Amino acid sequence: MRGSKGKSSVKDWKRTLVKLWAYLSVHKRLLTAVLVMVVISSSLGLLGPYLLGRAIDVYLVPRNSSGLLSFIFLIAGSYLLYSLSTWLQSYWMIGVAQRTVATMREDLFRQLHKLPISYFTKRQHGELMSRLTNDMDNVSQTLNSSFIQLFSSVLTFIGMLAMMIWLSPWLTLITLSIVPLMYFGMKWITARTGRFFKEQQRNLGDLNGFVEETLSGQRVVKTFSQEKRVIAEFEAKNERLKTAGYWAQTYTGFIPKLMNVLNNMCFAVIAGAGGILALNDMVSIGVIVTFSEYARQFTRPLNDLANQFNTFLSAVAGAERVFEVLEEEEEAGDEQRAVELKTVKGEIEFSGVFFSYEQDVQTLSGIDLRVSPGQTLALVGPTGAGKSTVVQLLSRFYEPSGGQIRVDGQDICRIKRHSLRQHMGFVLQDTFLFQDTIRENIRYGKLEASDEEVEQAARLANAHAFIMKLPKQYDTVLSQDGGGISQGQKQLLSIARAILADPSILILDEATSSIDTITEIKIQEALYRLMKGRTNIVIAHRLNTIRRADQIIVLEDGKIIERGTHESLLRQRGFYHGLYDSKSSRSKKGQLG
Amino acid sequence: MLKVFSYLKSYKLSIVIALSLMLTELVVELWHPLLMAHIIDDGIIGEDLSAVLRWGGIMVVLALIGFAAGIVNSFFAAHVSQSFGFDLRKHVFGKIQTFSFANFNKFPASTLITRLTSDVNQLQNIIFMGLRILMRAPLLMLGGLVMALIVNAKLALVLVLVTPVLLVFLLWIMNKGFTLFRLVQERLDTTNGVLRESLIGMRLIKAFVRFGHEVRRFTKANDDLMDRMIAALRLVELTLPLLLLVMNLSILYILWSGNRAIGSDSAEVGEIVAIVNYTLRITGAFSVVSLILTSVSRAKASGQRLAAVLDTKVDIVDSDEVNGDLCVKTGKLSFENVSFCYPDTDTPVLGSVSFTVQPGETLAIMGATGAGKSTLFQLIPRLYDVNGGTIKLDDADIRYFPLESLRMGIGFVPQEALLFTGTVRENIRWGNERASEDEMIEAARRAQIHETIMKLPKQYDTVIGQKGVNLSGGQKQRLSVARALIRKPNLLLLDDSTSALDAKTEANLLAALKEHQCTTLIITQKISTAMEADKIILLEEGRVLAEGGHEQLLHSSPLYRQIVQSQLGEGVAI
Repeated sequence: MRGSKGKSSVKDWKRTLVKLWAYLSVHKRLLTAVLVMVVISSSLGLLGPYLLGRAIDVYLVPRNSSGLLSFIFLIAGSYLLYSLSTWLQSYWMIGVAQRTVATMREDLFRQLHKLPISYFTKRQHGELMSRLTNDMDNVSQTLNSSFIQLFSSVLTFIGMLAMMIWLSPWLTLITLSIVPLMYFGMKWITARTGRFFKEQQRNLGDLNGFVEETLSGQRVVKTFSQEKRVIAEFEAKNERLKTAGYWAQTYTGFIPKLMNVLNNMCFAVIAGAGGILALNDMVSIGVIVTFSEYARQFTRPLNDLANQFNTFLSAVAGAERVFEVLEEEEEAGDEQRAVELKTVKGEIEFSGVFFSYEQDVQTLSGIDLRVSPGQTLALVGPTGAGKSTVVQLLSRFYEPSGGQIRVDGQDICRIKRHSLRQHMGFVLQDTFLFQDTIRENIRYGKLEASDEEVEQAARLANAHAFIMKLPKQYDTVLSQDGGGISQGQKQLLSIARAILADPSILILDEATSSIDTITEIKIQEALYRLMKGRTNIVIAHRLNTIRRADQIIVLEDGKIIERGTHESLLRQRGFYHGLYDSKSSRSKKGQLG
Repeated sequence: MLKVFSYLKSYKLSIVIALSLMLTELVVELWHPLLMAHIIDDGIIGEDLSAVLRWGGIMVVLALIGFAAGIVNSFFAAHVSQSFGFDLRKHVFGKIQTFSFANFNKFPASTLITRLTSDVNQLQNIIFMGLRILMRAPLLMLGGLVMALIVNAKLALVLVLVTPVLLVFLLWIMNKGFTLFRLVQERLDTTNGVLRESLIGMRLIKAFVRFGHEVRRFTKANDDLMDRMIAALRLVELTLPLLLLVMNLSILYILWSGNRAIGSDSAEVGEIVAIVNYTLRITGAFSVVSLILTSVSRAKASGQRLAAVLDTKVDIVDSDEVNGDLCVKTGKLSFENVSFCYPDTDTPVLGSVSFTVQPGETLAIMGATGAGKSTLFQLIPRLYDVNGGTIKLDDADIRYFPLESLRMGIGFVPQEALLFTGTVRENIRWGNERASEDEMIEAARRAQIHETIMKLPKQYDTVIGQKGVNLSGGQKQRLSVARALIRKPNLLLLDDSTSALDAKTEANLLAALKEHQCTTLIITQKISTAMEADKIILLEEGRVLAEGGHEQLLHSSPLYRQIVQSQLGEGVAI
């Protein structure tokens, strides 16, 4: 069983490597230049010890000084070239590696934006962030050095082997005797490390996710005085990370040691055996010196390979996690025949729409509705009735499991997603503002808007007055938990943002829930003006905001139970009447008592 | 910086063991060329086979000892570095948990996340390296130098001159690299920040079709990160070729002067070979040093960033006069002339606010957007401290309560229902781990969410995504209420936490809360909610404008009348 697991992971690696190569191959020309430099530096690296040995044999041992100086200059020249080529190869490789990593990061980022909303419901932000930082960091570190070392190691190894055989086949044979030892040692170690590296990266992502979430929810942690609990939970994750890290690192630590001992043994064997051979005049002292140096260098590429193999393992583990996201199924692509919508009149039609977020729970069943251009539709109903879901389907965050949704008579599945959304303006239930200036936050509705337009929109949304009271007014930077402004003010800003967007279809999902009613009345006029000439869908609990709607639909458990205008629904004395009544009756009671 | 490394103290023994094992390895390494010289001089030149075998055997044994030392070293070094990383993360995270909101404004979440992971990793790596090769490299250098001097001082002189110069050069690069890598980590924060915002605001971005805009923002941050990284790496990668060149030229010098020394009979060939060998090893050590250099520079930058977190002064802590026995009992709450403005600003948000709520009473707080309602709430569990006046709970200044028991006595339902990844059960019990299953269901019932939960496929075991993404606004709010109720608090703070509820559910919820005898403060926009309260406070621009019951305010406050009208329509008689 373990064997089959191992095999599949080797296959995974291959896949990961092929994908990695696809990124690297963009820089083929630079990579070729790097390779050329690697060839040059590797051969010069081989030449150096040989020349050194020659210098000893030819000049030092026979005590012969004539010509030594020019020979030394020759060696100096090769050293200079060696350094130059080493420098160039890493200079270029850094560029290639970092550009590759940057591209991968960007692709990952793009991919995240292409994923359907449902992808994010089961994943922690921090865990995804970890893939983009911690995992990419591993890839970056490996690319920086491994690529070069991989090639130079192979080249050096081959070259050195050739030189050694040429110099002394016997000594070569003796030196090579350590290779099987090395092979089995490495196999034993790497069989263990790969698993731990994967686990380490996974645990790191897990920890990252936890930290991100705890920091986002810091307000609750504090007010509930749950620091100890959070710390305890953190500690458990921390502990798991430590354990995985410990084994990964320990085993990794064996590699250079193994190489070192083999290296030293080799050195000893060469010295000993070389000594014996020299006594029999089979080799010269110079050859032994050259050989001992070669032996060091011979194990070095293997050593490097081994060392690299481990950073390499952690990088593959990292890259795998990155590609995992990249391969995730994207938001269903636009149909081939999908069209762009140039202008939208704003006719909306749902016919027999079904939808469920999770299997066996119908969130919407058989929704039929029609909104004419310029009309306002209000959705009311108890929480969880499916009001927001209607909006989510209309904007194609999710696809209905049955039925059809049409805008201007066109099935929205046949409209390009971005084109569809471009004609819609949203004020969503969860106000989200960026950590940026107020001005830029409003401008988000229409990126090319001028400062005047931004202020105009703010005025319409009744946000101008409070903005002007802030220390830096429109240039006030919102802090991460919106510390500076209140929830209601945030809603005003997001209304301003929607006003600026000037859409054909306006969607207000609990847009004014945190705004006090006096302010709401003040912006009511602005909202009505805003809604004029557009098709509007309004979700609200406060009934007076929806009183003026052309059509009110009451949802319960994903079904439409009542529809009509405010007056007609009141006359029906049904659910809507009950909702309305629960408010007014209590107010009467209040007045009485 | 020192503080960061002080966590190493607990592992003194392991460090000593790891270092001595490393030294053992080092001795082996340094001994080898010497033995090699013996083989050449005694064995080969002296034509003595037994000497060759003897010295060769010793070399093998030494190599094995070195190996054993290295393997054992691995265990200790990994133990120290991983435990250090563990401790560091633990302390930094613990420190973050003590942060006040003013502290958080200085450290946005994205930077804290990078610091806890990426920065700790850098330090952890350098410690592991440090216990294995970082120290070994300079020692190898020093040892090689000493040995070379012992073999032949005159020939080795050039090394004594060159090595310090190179070391100074290395230090210089290291310093420069440190500055560059600090910028790299900062850019990593920025990139991380853009990503995080993108993830949180995903719906909005999709809705506004701002994909391109976000990508541009990210690309800018990402490219910046790349450029900084390239600059930093290119600088440190320059060192190795330069070092190699200088050291290689030194070898040539040794050869040349060695040749002359042989001529004058002041050196043996074996000696020269040994010195050349030592020089090669020193060179090897240098290249290791330059490799480590990258890590040291990065680690230093990271260490500083972690130290900055650890050294942050937390401004909300238990004061000296804290009374350890105090805990919230009756829930009587009073504000006395409380004024407040957010740190680093001078716009007052609250100005001399005074009111009292008797145990078991319900107080509704109303007021315009930005009037200071939520701010007022945040002062009660001491998320911020007042600038003037006092807040009293059970007639004692809240600053005399131990922070923990103060907050334990309060049930807080924030405006934004912040839920966590996990099951419904976990989220409710988050409020009180010790609560029994029945208590949890009871809390859910009161919060009017029990029936909704029972309709979910896995009921209480249904997993909800981060920030409750798969729940409706009203469901999130009710879960958040249940989480507060399960604590059975004596003081309940509801910050507009029923805004997404329909009127019926809300009425039921409020009725259920009444049964639970605790002091309740409720921020609301709805008159219907406010009418249920014993007392209503009207806030305007941080001041109490009016205070009293519904009837009272109807008569005394024009603003209140206006609010009532706005909600109940023209037809309501006053």
